[in-house]
Amino acid sequence: MKTVTTVVIGAGQAGLAMSRELSRRAIDHVVIDRGEVGEAWRRHRWDSLRLLTPNWANALPGAPYRGPDPHGYMRVSELIARFDDYAAAISAPVQGDTTVHRVHGSEGDYRIETSQGPFRCASLVLATGGCARPRVPGVAEVMPPGVFQSTSLHYKRPDDLPPGGVLVVGASASGAQLTREIQASGRPVTLAVGSHIRLPRSYRGRDIEWWLDMVGALDERFDAVENLERARRTPSPQLIGGPDPVDLNALQELGVEVVGKLAGIRDGQALFSGGLASAVASADLKMVRLLDAVDGWVKARFLNDILPPPHRPAPTRLPENPVLNRSLIDGGIRSVLWATGYRPDFSWLELPVFDPRGRLRHRGGVVDVPGVYALGLRFLRRRRSHQISGVGDDARDLADHLAQHLAGARAA
Amino acid sequence: MTTTSQTTTVSNGVNVEALLGAREAITAAPAAGQFTWRARCAWVDGVHSSSTCEGFYGLGDEQARSAPHTIDADHPEQFAAEDNGPTPVEIVLSGLASCLTAGVAAVAQNRGIQLKSVQATVEGDMDMAGILGIDSDVRIGFSAIRVRFEIDADASSEDIAGLVSQSQKRSAVFDIITNPTNVHVTVG
Repeated sequence: MKTVTTVVIGAGQAGLAMSRELSRRAIDHVVIDRGEVGEAWRRHRWDSLRLLTPNWANALPGAPYRGPDPHGYMRVSELIARFDDYAAAISAPVQGDTTVHRVHGSEGDYRIETSQGPFRCASLVLATGGCARPRVPGVAEVMPPGVFQSTSLHYKRPDDLPPGGVLVVGASASGAQLTREIQASGRPVTLAVGSHIRLPRSYRGRDIEWWLDMVGALDERFDAVENLERARRTPSPQLIGGPDPVDLNALQELGVEVVGKLAGIRDGQALFSGGLASAVASADLKMVRLLDAVDGWVKARFLNDILPPPHRPAPTRLPENPVLNRSLIDGGIRSVLWATGYRPDFSWLELPVFDPRGRLRHRGGVVDVPGVYALGLRFLRRRRSHQISGVGDDARDLADHLAQHLAGARAA
Repeated sequence: MTTTSQTTTVSNGVNVEALLGAREAITAAPAAGQFTWRARCAWVDGVHSSSTCEGFYGLGDEQARSAPHTIDADHPEQFAAEDNGPTPVEIVLSGLASCLTAGVAAVAQNRGIQLKSVQATVEGDMDMAGILGIDSDVRIGFSAIRVRFEIDADASSEDIAGLVSQSQKRSAVFDIITNPTNVHVTVG
């Protein structure tokens, strides 16, 4: 059995950022991953994907973007290349091809059974991220048998879907982007829209990410936000890594049929909520509220005259009577793509750290048993926690806590 | 020139603290959040019926009221009935309006917005060819429902729109009407 002070599970941006922090504190550790560095990005992303955040916003801890296109949006292949370079630069002790079967043990003495043999460690960092599994609603189980189903985690390209109509369920970042390319492939898309976040790609001459950064929205802390559960459930905005809009107006101009949230499947019919107008009005309202905050920020700094004037994107247009059902057995819809979100997978974690609903119990990444930490989850410690650039501050905070824990354990 | 400053306490008559307390309590003990609502309906005569709402289950136990509430339903004279009460579909519309209005008041209280008046007008369109079995392609229930709010409050029109938006998100009746529900009807 290998004995090491800290085992980091997962070699994506979170695991690498933590490795750097541990090395800086001279804490001996290993970063294990079922595959290679950035494995989830290699395995579970669609071909056309570009990051939602512009390149300048994708700094890794100690490694800002220095490439030729700071305002571009990098492809996943570029991101993986950056991860590889970064892992080498920080001499991260990565052991790949190591699949975790189970983690057990107690306070300060944990065992990790892996495909490459067991590890024993005093502390443990769960850095497998929040997008390990698709979050597919139970209604998928009663899908008529002839309908091909995929998820945004498994989907690679439109031609993997059968010809014919596609029902895309979910209109957040993944659903909006995939709807666009599937519709363009000649497969007519019906897009089921629940509650969502609408943002313009740019505003007053700057990328929206720049504004979110400036007004401080991304630095909001987990212990200061009014309703953390809700903040963690907030979906990714309808954006794509590029200049084109993918909001519901833009998608409808491409011919996409917009319907309400998928509410059920009955007698071979997909049933959609009649609350579409409500979800859309709410998203428009929140977008305007954010842009008002940006305008307030600009005005307070007397920058009104040097920036382009404010504008408001057109309100979302909807058909007067959005359809409430679509047959799943008449051949019109041949496939269903679930873009209904993601969740972490800690099924291998045999520690008493889950709440009654099966969610990991942690406070800002400090898990409910001593020496165990989680990193890279949505709104872990800050609103930007799940972003490439958001993991660095979290890793530093948690590494401080981890080092104190180890010192305390030694003193005892 | 005089400068006045005053602090106002918003009072819409909603005990928001109690509601927030309930959220915390039910988060801690999810079983307490399982409720069953009931109505008992008795036929009176013709299409006139009388429903009684009395006890309900919740907070882990049977709950009682100090007195039962009754709601009569009937059809209007145009349908050759005696008009002893609103039609059942109007009771549904009134349920939606009441639910959204309660939501507006609760959200306003929570956001510190003083309400002066709130009026909701609800309309539901129905083609009688459905209910009378004239045309099987016509939906029996409402083909569309419209709710129009008129709200006078110490708030911007944008904040008022925010109240109405949030009230829809947390409205049980809005959810009941906009989403399908499995209904089990048995005899005996």
